[in-house]
Parts: sequence; structure tokens; C-alpha cells
Amino acid sequence: MVGWGLVDRIDRISERLGQLCGLLMLLMLLLAFLVVVLRYVFDLGSIALQEAVLYLHGALFTLGAGFTLKHQGHVRVDIFYREWSPRRKAWVDLLGTLLLLLPFLGFIALQSWDYVANAWARMEGSVEAGGLGLVYLQKSLILALVLTLGLQALAELGRNLAVLLDRESRP
Amino acid sequence: QPPPADSGAGSSVQSSETFQWKLVTSWPKNFPGLGMAPERFAERVNKMSGGRLTVTVYGAGDLVPAFEVFDAVSQGTAEMGHSASYYWKGKTPASQIFTSIPFGMNAQQMNGWLNYGGGMSLWREVYAPFGILPLAGGNTGVQMGGWFNKEINSLEDLKGLKMRLPGLGGEVLARLGGVPVTLPGRELFTALQTGAIDATEWVGPYNDLAFGLHKAAKYYYYPGWHEPGTVLEFMVNQAAFNSLPADLQAIVEIAAQSVNQDMLDEYTSRNIAALDALVNEHGIELRRWPDEVLVELRKAAQLVMAEEAAKDPTMKKVLDHYQAFQQGVGAYHRISEDAYNQIAHQE
Amino acid sequence: MMALVLFLCVCLVLLAGFPVAFVLGGTALWFAAIGTLTGHLDGAFLGALPNRLYGILNNQVLMAVPLFVMMGVTLERSRLAEQLLDAMAKLFGRVRAGLALSVMVVGMLLAASTGIVGATVVTMGLLSLPAMLRRGYDPAYAAGAICATGTLGQIIPPSIALVLLGDVLSSAFQQAQLKMGIFSPRTVSVGDLFAGALIPGLVLVALYMLYTLWLAWRRPQLFAETEAVPLDWPFVITLLKALVPPIGLIFLVLGSILLGVATPTEAAAVGAFGALTLALVRRQLSAQALLGVLTETVKVTAMVFMILIGAALFSLVFRGLGGEALIHGLLSDLPGGVVGATLLVMLVIFLLGFILDFIEITFVVVPMVAPTLLMLGLDPIWLGVMLGLNLQTSFLTPPFGFALFYLRGVAPPSLTSATLYRGVIPFIGIQILMMLLLALWPVLATWLPERIYG
Ligand code: NA
Ligand code: NA
Repeated sequence: MVGWGLVDRIDRISERLGQLCGLLMLLMLLLAFLVVVLRYVFDLGSIALQEAVLYLHGALFTLGAGFTLKHQGHVRVDIFYREWSPRRKAWVDLLGTLLLLLPFLGFIALQSWDYVANAWARMEGSVEAGGLGLVYLQKSLILALVLTLGLQALAELGRNLAVLLDRESRP
Repeated sequence: QPPPADSGAGSSVQSSETFQWKLVTSWPKNFPGLGMAPERFAERVNKMSGGRLTVTVYGAGDLVPAFEVFDAVSQGTAEMGHSASYYWKGKTPASQIFTSIPFGMNAQQMNGWLNYGGGMSLWREVYAPFGILPLAGGNTGVQMGGWFNKEINSLEDLKGLKMRLPGLGGEVLARLGGVPVTLPGRELFTALQTGAIDATEWVGPYNDLAFGLHKAAKYYYYPGWHEPGTVLEFMVNQAAFNSLPADLQAIVEIAAQSVNQDMLDEYTSRNIAALDALVNEHGIELRRWPDEVLVELRKAAQLVMAEEAAKDPTMKKVLDHYQAFQQGVGAYHRISEDAYNQIAHQE
Repeated sequence: MMALVLFLCVCLVLLAGFPVAFVLGGTALWFAAIGTLTGHLDGAFLGALPNRLYGILNNQVLMAVPLFVMMGVTLERSRLAEQLLDAMAKLFGRVRAGLALSVMVVGMLLAASTGIVGATVVTMGLLSLPAMLRRGYDPAYAAGAICATGTLGQIIPPSIALVLLGDVLSSAFQQAQLKMGIFSPRTVSVGDLFAGALIPGLVLVALYMLYTLWLAWRRPQLFAETEAVPLDWPFVITLLKALVPPIGLIFLVLGSILLGVATPTEAAAVGAFGALTLALVRRQLSAQALLGVLTETVKVTAMVFMILIGAALFSLVFRGLGGEALIHGLLSDLPGGVVGATLLVMLVIFLLGFILDFIEITFVVVPMVAPTLLMLGLDPIWLGVMLGLNLQTSFLTPPFGFALFYLRGVAPPSLTSATLYRGVIPFIGIQILMMLLLALWPVLATWLPERIYG
């Protein structure tokens, strides 16, 4: 079915993004450790390197938020939720996604659009003299969060709909 | 009198209209010295306008984080901000010059340049694309060179020196083999105490004593070649400013002017007692940078400034103007202020 | 008024079970819309959203979160954590609740190596919750103990809360003295607060342990059976093998801070790197498992930061709808006496801890009240430590106790939210007891700084 194809495709994208973020995590760790070694052992410092670590850190959770959603990693208060039937859970998630998550993401995009666009317009650089100077990219991560999380939210919507329409149960 | 801001005539709305403004700052609420400027500004504006313009001050992180003040004013989230223009280097490199540059001008000279030397109109020009009207908002005077746990006796001692020294000063230090480190202010104290860094700069005796840096370092170096006369700034959202009637616009400008002078006066006075306490109560060792080191730092600074200017035409334009003024005022101050100070304050 | 309705609504919607981060942000947005339509909302607060989001992205201190989480996940997936806790449980097998006491010691050491609560709670949850549950510990007790121990990072130095409080208090202290005409003022620094918080922090750990021992005596069924393992050489060797690497790792992190090799944030990188190296060298982590560690770290990190992002909009809307005025109203007329004023402030901050996170409280509330309290003669170090303890409690108090969310996020599904809430209640009681002790004996906080800095 066309609908399922889309859900599967989004799932695959999120999965890839999650793995990419895992690699970014490894890179972040290695660079952060390198900063310490360079300074303590070799008396060397690089502001650009320190900023690279910070950028990677930001990328990690903005690009990985959709992956987390796919794996049900965003924490819930499950006092009642855990006891409910799959149908009821699907209702909660469907309504929550439509009424809370998607509007929230839309609002972030709306409020942040000019903010990010301005950073691009001036190719905003670093505050530090030896900095990496890609602040416009770093700020764009706000919109990347909206995109990755929003996309996966659509896939979840499809899944919930399927449960409610009593289709064959899907992973 | 400094020249009036060329900000338009102001709207001719009926004079009973009231305005509520937000002023966001880069300092913690009540921060000694720097943070008092916005408080006093608000107090004076509220009083002078008879309550027609009330300004509420938000400390760093209260409404927006410290380094988001510029964007917040530009986008109109807050009508005003109080900060230092060198924080906005990433948005427009020329902004650095309006705060302080290594081996640049001192407070008296900066006020001369800004108010009567043409500096202010350049500043307005640089900020205009962002919809922000800048006003000078205080000056710390010549800052201190910083807090050190390593002695600096020769150029050799700069090699591998791990120092938190933001901005152009850090770049100058790097040219001489130093290691500028960027640290969140929150980790500064611990990092200095444990030796993760060897040195840090802060402001001057009054602020440094309050921050307690004497509890984490032994030597206090002078002078602060990296920030010889730091200008603070008020930023006003241009649209918000234009919506004020002419009398309230004048009140905003006059209040900013009074605060600009006020801060320098306060630092001049308070630094005396604070330095005394640091040296005599807390046993801090006061050290002067060796001449050899200052000479090389100055050479490196000229190189760095020239390189920065080559990257950005606006920066070059402002820097040329600045340096021409500095040359003139330098020649005059050698035979006036400097000559006099040398005689008058000899021990 | 509307601000309080917003709070109550979020509590209700949370119960439906939709993810916390999205409920915080989404519900606040609906209220923002209603507030805008009815003219009850100060729009400037909404305008600050992008600035705050970027503030979260660009916060160097928060980098410790993914790094610490990775250390925790690595120790868990490579089974190093399990071996450690098994060994310790056997070592303390003679004492009921021996494992719990071990967990508290490990938690205390972790708390001394980072100042970020999200990092410590998650790491503690990954390391010790499965081990405790597997051994038949009462889930409520285990969850409560881990949450409480995890928030120790806030009070045992280094601590972000104390650093922020140090900023705000040193300014307030200057302000108070200037108002009293003292122009060569005494000062209070972050170092003073760190030194001041150390003893109360340790006393707090001792109280947790005493409570645990008391519980083990009164209600032994809550804890695992005692296993008597003879303390012979083979056991000692197994013990050392299991004990040395992870404990060594924690001391590596601590040592790198104390010896000035790394800042507290960077020390998290040292820890994660060490854990990874250890796991790889001991061949307890395959390449496939490494990828699992990395993606799990991403998952947990995104969970933690989405809560911060949701909370960013929530607190902006809360304040824009009059929460700001509400706080001012509660605190503008402090009673004249120092005891009354302090009590009121502590109570209000405790209550606000249910609604706002500690950063918001530190920036908004403390500057309002601290100058007055200090002018009444309170010791700034004592006040700082007291506020630190109070804010630490807010991490544990439902419904918005972030520590509860973080632990729930990494706990096995068998642990329910209700159990978790039940489990932290006694520990909240201990926190309050600790604040009482500090009120009765201020010297707990003031003695050490006096000794170190004169
Ligand atoms: Na400075
Ligand atoms: Na800590």
C-alpha cells in the first residue's frame, strides 16, 4: 500500500539518521578527548576544535530526536497509559501527535525561521577570533530538529491510524 | 554636548501615551559595575518620564541567554539591551572596535572618538542593518591584565600559557605561543583553581574581588593591554525608538549618556578600595607585565588587527578611522595626560 | 491565574501518557494561543523561544550529558557495571541492603565528578537499577534511592546549580553591602559555595544510608536475601577484577578534574573515553555492540534534551501568562524578621520547584529575594547551600521532577511511574530533614570555607 510505503521509508530515514548520530557521538567523544590531550600534554589549544565538539553535541540530539521517537525513547508518565489497550494507546498517540507534537514543532519552525535566516544572511561566524565560524549551520539545527522529529511524527501517525482502522498489526 | 542621534523627529503622538519596555542584559542581575548601568538607566528613565516610559530590566538568562541580547533586540523581543559590542563579532566583525581592541584607546579617548570624533556615526552605520540604534552605555576604564598562577618574566613564559582570554586578545596571545582557551564563565573559577588553565582575565579590581578570583590565583598582572577602555553599549530597537514621542526619545538618550559617565566614575572610585583589599587583606602579588613582553604583544596586536581588517571592508573602514583618531589623541595625550600623570602620581 | 491553570492542565495531560517533552511544549502552545486571543499573554516571552533554543544548543556545560551517558551505557552494555555491583553486593553480603549502600557510594563518587543531574541520574539508572531489580529489591525503594543519589551531583561539588547560585549570590551580596554603606565589601565566590556544600552533601549521603539501614532492619523483605560468600582468596581476586576498573574509571574522572587535566565538562569525555577503552581492551564490547552503545546514547541524550526544549516553551508561556507577576506578588513583601523571611522564601522556592526548573528559579527568583535576605544578616554561603539543597529537591518532586523523567526514560518497562513517585517520597522527606539540620547548625556549611579561605 502507498501509505505503508511512506511509513516504511520514513522509518528507514530515521534509522539511518540515528546511526549517523551514533557516529557523530563517537566523533564528538574523540575530539573532546583530543582537546584535553592536546592542551595537557602538548600545550596546544584550538578554539575551532572546541567549537566543533559543541556543534557535534548539538547535532546529536537535534538530528537524533526522530530516531528516539521511532524507538519510543521519549519518556512518558505511564501511570495509566501502560494499562491501556493498544487501541486506546493509539488514540492517545494519534491525538497527542496531532494536537501537541506537530503544533509545537510548527511553532518552533515559525518562531525560529527568521532567526535562522538572519544567521544565514550574514553567514554568522564565531564570537572567538580563532573560532570555527559556522554559527549559521549550528543555528540551522533548530530547524533540522523540526524536520527530523516532524517526519517521524508523520510515520507514527500512520502507525496509530492503522491500529485504529484495525489493519494488520505492524511493528 | 555630544551630537544628537539622527533618529528622526519622533512620532507626534499625544504625550499621555505610556510605554512599557523590556531591557535584556548580558550580566547577572545586580552584577557590580556593569550590571548597575541598566538598573540606573531604568530608574532614571522611569523618573524623568514621570512613568510614561517604564523600563524593566532582565538579567542574563532571565528572558534570553547572555549572548542572545543582540538578536533579542534586533527581532524586537526586547526593546532594549545592555551588553558589549565585541560579543557580536560573528554578526559583523567591525562591532569589536566599538568596545575595545588590544592596545587601543582608553576611556577618555573612546568617549572623545565616539562623541566628537565621528565614531558614533560609524557605530550607527554598522548596527543599522540590524534595526538597532547603539548608545554608549558605560566604561570600565583600563582593565587589569588578569589572574595568573604562573609568573610571566619573559616572552618564553607565554609559550604554552593556558589562558582564558576571549576575542582579539586571545588571538594576539596565540601569536606568541599562548593557548587561548574558551570556557563557559561557569567553569572559570574551578578551572583556574585546579590548574586546568594557568590564567584568566576578568575586569578590574572591583569586579574581580567580587568574583573571588583571588581565591584561585596568586599573581595579578597589569595593565590590561587587551581591553584598555571597554565601552559598554545600550542597544535600542530602532522601530521601538521611532515610536516614542520626541521628548521620550531625548530622555532615553540623556539617561544613557548619564549612565555612560556614571560607570566610569564608579569604577574609578571603587577600584581603589578593592585593589587595596586585594593587596593588603588577601596578600595578592601585583605584577607589571615585563616591557619586553608588552612590546611583542603590541607588535602581534598590530598584525592581528591588520589581518582582521583585510577580511572585512567595513571593519577596515572603521579601524582606519579609529587608528587615525588614536594617533592624533596619542600625540596630544603624550604631552598632556601622560606627561602629567608621570609627574603627579610618582611614588 | 491563567499561569496556574496552565500548570494544572499540563499535569492532567501528562497523565494521558503522551511523551512529557511534547506535552510540556504542546499544552503551553495552546495556552499561548488562548492568551494571545484574549490579550492575557505578553508576546515578548514567546519571541524569546529561538534565543532560548539556541542557548540550549550552544551550552558548553551541557556537553557533559551525552559524554556521561555514553560512559554509563558503555559500562552497562559491556557488563562491567554488572560485575562491579555483583561483586560489591557479595562483599557487603553480610549486611542487608549491602548493594544499596554500594550503589550510594558509587553515586556519591559520580556526583563528585559531574555537576549535571541529567547525566548522573541516567548513568546511575543504567548502572544500578537492573542489578537491584534483578536481586529482588523493592522497585519503589530502588527507584527512589537511585533518583535521590543521582541528584547528589547538584549539591556535591562541582555543581552547575552552585555555580549559577554563586554568580547570582555574589552580585546580590555586593548589592546588599553597598546598600548598607559598606564600600569595601566581603565577597562570596563559587569556591566558597563548593566548600560550603561539601559537608552538607556528605551528611545527606549519610542520611540516605542511615535510612536504608533502618529500613533493612525494620522491613528486611524490601531487600535481597543475604548471601554469605566466604572471604577467601579466589573471591578477593574476582572482587578486585570487577572492582578496580570501574572504580578506577571514576577516580580517573575525579582525578582529571582535581589535577587540572580537564575541566568538569571535559572530564566527562575522559570518563567516556576510558570506559570505551576499557570495554574494548577487555574484549567485552564487539563492534556491533559499540554501534548499539552509540545509538543508545543518542536516544537517551535526545530524550533529555527534548525535555529541556519542551520546558523552554512551557516556562516562557508560564511567565508570559502572569506567572511572573505571581512570583513577584508572593515575594515582594517579605516579612520583616529574618526567620520569617527565610522560611517564606524557602517555602515559595520549594513550591516553585514543582513547576519550574532550577535554572529558571535561580535566574528569576533568587535575584529578587537574595539582597533583602542578605541585608537581614544571613550568611551568603549558608544561603547558597540552603538554596542548593532546596533546588535539588525540586528534581525529585512530581510531577515535573526532571530526575523522575530521566530515570523513567532509562528504566526497564516493568518499573511504573507510580512506583517511582511512591519511591521518592521518603527521600524528599530526607531532603527536608537535611534542610532543617542545616537551619539548626549553619556551621555545617560555614565551617569548611572558613578553614580553607580564612
Ligand atoms: Na575583560
Ligand atoms: Na557534582
